[in-house]
Amino acid sequence: MTRGIFVQSLVAGILAAIAANIYNQIYFFATEVDYSNIINVGSLIGLNLGVSLIAGLVNILLTNLFKSKGAIIFNFVYSVGSFACVIIPIAITLPLSTPFPELFPGLTVPMVFFPVIAWMTIDPLFRKSGT
Amino acid sequence: MKKHSYLLATLALILASAFTFIQSQSWKIAEGYSVKFDGGDPSGEFTALKGTIQFDEKHLATSKFDMTVEVASINTGNGMKNTHAKSANWFDAEKYPNITFVSSSITKTASGFEAKGVLEMHGEKKETTIPFTFTNNTFDGAIEVNRMDFKLDDGKHPKMMPSMKVTIHVPVTI
Repeated sequence: MTRGIFVQSLVAGILAAIAANIYNQIYFFATEVDYSNIINVGSLIGLNLGVSLIAGLVNILLTNLFKSKGAIIFNFVYSVGSFACVIIPIAITLPLSTPFPELFPGLTVPMVFFPVIAWMTIDPLFRKSGT
Repeated sequence: MKKHSYLLATLALILASAFTFIQSQSWKIAEGYSVKFDGGDPSGEFTALKGTIQFDEKHLATSKFDMTVEVASINTGNGMKNTHAKSANWFDAEKYPNITFVSSSITKTASGFEAKGVLEMHGEKKETTIPFTFTNNTFDGAIEVNRMDFKLDDGKHPKMMPSMKVTIHVPVTI
């Protein structure tokens, strides 16, 4: 069970990191604003893997605590938590050398939801395989 | 013919005399200038500065600053705060697009110089003294600005410090 959750977290993190990097490129071509001093390939991989692995730990915790209802509670907590995290890129103060801070939330707010979307996308696959 | 010569000589003397008035050196603002403010939260900078600078250490009486900062160029590092700062609740950039300082006198002090003049911000004028130094073709100055003097308060931020430290760094070229 724990191994399955770990693999699911890892796969979700990798998928979210890929999606975030693609979106980062699209956003750069659309706005021509460079935020690479804050958001780059490395930081996106690290953040998405980190968030997904933490989510996996929370999943294990909730499943142990609430048994069969653990997964339902986890999905709810993960969704609400992701939504609450929207405030982070909106409220963050960037270095003054960063141009157009007004456009920063447009890049990062959608990315906040990538780990939870990736998790829920692959979740049926992992349930079906019985891991 | 002789009469014309005197006339020409007089005219030449009048023209020449125009250049005998002592004028301060005129400077242009160079790249790399900064107008930063520090009030804890928010802190940031204004990125657009223009104006005329007449300054000569040896002729302070004819020296003068006439500077303009564009309010809309405010950058706090946060888009939401920038929008809020430009809104009618704070600087009201639409109604008061500029912050200006026009000096009336410049004097030498022990540590550098002092420019006395009128600082106009948010439609309010206040006599202000800006101490500054001038080294390697660069002006550096700092003042404490009490935002309450300029009615910069929306009443929703009681914990915000009333005064802000403004530092000015202006490299210049001839």
